[in-house]
Amino acid sequence: MKYAVPVVALLLSAPFFLPGFHVTLLTEILIFALFAMSLDVQVGYARMFSFGHAAPYGVGAYVAAFALVVGKLPLPIAILIAVVAVFILSIPIGWLCTRASGVAFAMLTLAFAQLAFAVAFKWNAVTGGSDGISGLIRNPGPWGFAGLESRDGYYWLTVTLVVGTAWLASRFVRSPMGTAIVAVRENEKRAIAIGYEPRQLRLAAFVISNTGAGLAGALHAGFLLFVSPELLHWTLSGYVLVAVVLGGSGTLIGPMIGAALMVIGGHQLSAIATSWPLFMGLLFMIVVVVAPNGLWGIKSSISNALALRKASRLEMNHVAS
Amino acid sequence: MISWQVLLNLTLNTLALASLLAMLTMGLTLIFGILRIMNFAHGAIYMFGAYCGISAAALLGTFWVGLLVAPFAAGLLGCIFEFTLLRRLYRRDGGSFLLITFGLSLVLSESIRLIWGPNTRDVELPEILSGVLWIGDEPYPAYRIFLILWGILVLLALTYVFLRTRLGLLIRAIAQNAEMTQALGIDVGLMRSLTFAVGCAFAGLGGYLAVPLITGYIGMGGAAIIDSFVIVMIGGMGSLFGSVAGSVLVALTQTFGNFYLPELALVATYLLMIGVLLYRPGGLFGEQD
Repeated sequence: MKYAVPVVALLLSAPFFLPGFHVTLLTEILIFALFAMSLDVQVGYARMFSFGHAAPYGVGAYVAAFALVVGKLPLPIAILIAVVAVFILSIPIGWLCTRASGVAFAMLTLAFAQLAFAVAFKWNAVTGGSDGISGLIRNPGPWGFAGLESRDGYYWLTVTLVVGTAWLASRFVRSPMGTAIVAVRENEKRAIAIGYEPRQLRLAAFVISNTGAGLAGALHAGFLLFVSPELLHWTLSGYVLVAVVLGGSGTLIGPMIGAALMVIGGHQLSAIATSWPLFMGLLFMIVVVVAPNGLWGIKSSISNALALRKASRLEMNHVAS
Repeated sequence: MISWQVLLNLTLNTLALASLLAMLTMGLTLIFGILRIMNFAHGAIYMFGAYCGISAAALLGTFWVGLLVAPFAAGLLGCIFEFTLLRRLYRRDGGSFLLITFGLSLVLSESIRLIWGPNTRDVELPEILSGVLWIGDEPYPAYRIFLILWGILVLLALTYVFLRTRLGLLIRAIAQNAEMTQALGIDVGLMRSLTFAVGCAFAGLGGYLAVPLITGYIGMGGAAIIDSFVIVMIGGMGSLFGSVAGSVLVALTQTFGNFYLPELALVATYLLMIGVLLYRPGGLFGEQD
């Protein structure tokens, strides 16, 4: 965290020295990073594997799109409505999903996301079906948000919201509730004995995580000015999970790095290697087997492995002597 | 007014689809019951089996060879995967399996796209299966009848092996307590590899048998894995009987839904699942907490 200030300063000043398409790329990276970080609140800290995180993302994007197109609301209001809508919606869904845990939880989230996908795909009259909704405008509204209409203005809005959410998330995971969630992850029985209520804590992690994804989705809608059912497809849920695990779950910065790698890889390598997903999938598998803490945690993975080897050798010597 | 012919037609369609879905989910359930792995790559392996079968059938000019090649190729791939990667992870928690098999599904789907190209693929049915059977005065595709019979045959065979043979006894013993079974002198590692291979073989066979109905396409694996997860949730994780019952329920919902409420058919399956889970969180035949 000691690099937070220079990194944020660098991000904020980026439009002054980077060419335009890099600012666009950076906006995309930041949105995906926010998405991945929000998922990690659930995967890394509560160890609830979700294969349906596209659901809050896509719903956030669709709600924002509705607010912009149908309601003709100003952009900040549209984003706010999207976040609130995802927050409210994720409470009953989280209540249902947290009835299960582990693998069953993962499958449930996947099925709910598919349900959302099916609705967006089939309900032509409202969602535009497979065509999605286009023609979004970043309506500045009467309060002088005109700057948001421009590419750089939107970039600054994104930076502000992403950094702000990251700060809130870091406060949350270190709060009493955040540490309680980790306690449940580490040893549920003991946590119950202390007096924690795992189900409620899981639900809280779920709702907070989904709300973050809803914000990312709303930003996505405002960024591309277009939403389609692809935002709800399970492949997106998979990609964001890959970003989390690749970067390192259980930290907030790891998933953001993983997300950046994936966006850059998808953009840059697709020109060279025709099959970036294949390459990414292989890298992902290697990381899962060799470095369970991801790329950001690779140092601790190596030192853990060395310590384990040393310990077993000591034990062998002990037995031999 | 619903005529009995339409009803009969829909019922047979339901059974044919259920037979395909059951073959897919029984493999998944078998693997989960014994290895405690929810195999996310099951759909990709299903697709792999289908494409291998299609190629073999095209090469040798007969549909039947695919019935051997598809399960064999899928089983072999599963065996290799278990042997090289899954073995290293048995000491970790279930989440690692979900991730590694998901990674495999990405790699496999992408490899299939690279090897076979993005076009859809079909297989030519032999004469005996491509015609129609007359049920009363109604023609009905023979292939679907073949699927139903095949499904019943596989179901009976599996039940027999599981409940009446020594192999089935061993499998159930490992599912109950792997360490104890190992202590009794059974090679649990070998049994695990075999189980994984057999589960994948079922997926491959299911994929190949599905081709004449849905035609092979990139993405058929994704559709299959979602369906089978829904079925497993409805039936109860790890219950073979539950996976059959879930398959019939989902097939029923999809077939009748497509006929009567095509707009809602896609959603109906998930609503069915949510309804079941509200009623019984562990699924219809799963263990209840």
